[in-house]
Amino acid sequence: MLSLEEVEHQLNFWGFPHDPWLVTVGNTQLAFNPKTLIMTWITMVLVAVFFIAATRNMSMRRPKGAQNVLEMIFEFIKGLVDQNMDPKKGASILYLVVTYMVFILFSNLIGLVPTLGSPTADYNTTLGLALCTFVMIYVMGLRYKGLGYFKHYLKPFFFFLPINIIEDLAKPVTLTFRLYGNIYAGEVLIAVLLGLLGGWTHVFGGFLASLAWLAFSIFVGCIQAFIFTMLSIAYFSQAVSEGH
Amino acid sequence: MLEFNATLLAQIADFIILLIFLRLVAYKPLSKLLANRSEHIASNIAAAEQERQEAQQLKAGYEAEMRRARGQAQDIVQKATKAGEDQALEIIESAKNEAVRIKDAALAEIAREKQKAVVELRDQVASLSVLVAGKIIGKKMTDQIQHSMIKDFIKEAGELQ
Repeated sequence: MLSLEEVEHQLNFWGFPHDPWLVTVGNTQLAFNPKTLIMTWITMVLVAVFFIAATRNMSMRRPKGAQNVLEMIFEFIKGLVDQNMDPKKGASILYLVVTYMVFILFSNLIGLVPTLGSPTADYNTTLGLALCTFVMIYVMGLRYKGLGYFKHYLKPFFFFLPINIIEDLAKPVTLTFRLYGNIYAGEVLIAVLLGLLGGWTHVFGGFLASLAWLAFSIFVGCIQAFIFTMLSIAYFSQAVSEGH
Repeated sequence: MLEFNATLLAQIADFIILLIFLRLVAYKPLSKLLANRSEHIASNIAAAEQERQEAQQLKAGYEAEMRRARGQAQDIVQKATKAGEDQALEIIESAKNEAVRIKDAALAEIAREKQKAVVELRDQVASLSVLVAGKIIGKKMTDQIQHSMIKDFIKEAGELQ
């Protein structure tokens, strides 16, 4: 039986630096997590390649291959957006939420490849994404309601002001930690199963537990990507909805 | 416990870069394609509906025309039947007339022939009488002669018939 640290050390096949990269700008020192950043860049490249492959040589009459997949995802998200808000207003955040869906899905799934890690298993990433949603909520609210958007803090009564503020602040926090918790827990459990059952057990089917957990992680990764997207859409629709 | 560091900023920047890149490269053509497709489908449906309507109009027109044609055909058949019957009656009528005419002519002919025969017979009887008178005058009249003469006479008369 190996400890978690030992397993992680052994799995570090690519030699990701353990200590953060330090960059000094002016008087402040900035720290970056190398593994997260590298995996994010890889994921970005994969997403970009997928999108380029899907949109190159598109056919209106007979879509095939990646175009079909992308169209399916796009139409699915578009359906959700159109159900939740006025399609005209929804068009301005449609690309954002489709990118959420694809990027988070790719991020979650890339961590299941042995020796690689999910960018979303780092709370910096998930908070970054959640902050994008948080900012966009205000952008959408101000764009479609003007300054009157802030009136919703006083509804239904003035006393609800603190509750409404907490509710708004809770949105990015819950988005962040739901995604991070699920994906990080998945990665940890993969490492723990490898350490716990390591050595000779793969001969006797000890890998079945890892296999089952990998399958479950694929499921969780898809579900979490969908949940993040769906909740963002719901928050945006709350911000732009009339008669609230 | 939680230590947020500058990775957060980097990730936000990464995500925004990805978003802008995809917007430039992929989303524009994709949404244009989807819009084109739905427009294409809508126009196809509209065209199909219009064509169906036109087809129905055409069908109604053809049906009306066919009904009219059928009515006309019936009229024509009726007229022809009537004309045929009339003609048949006419033909029968004229045939009857012809028959009557022929019969009359035949009767007249018979009467004329009969008349002629009677006249001829009279002539014959007259000439025979003259002949008989001549013979009576030329020969001596005996009972036997008289008898044979009368017999001849009767025979001749019999042959006349």
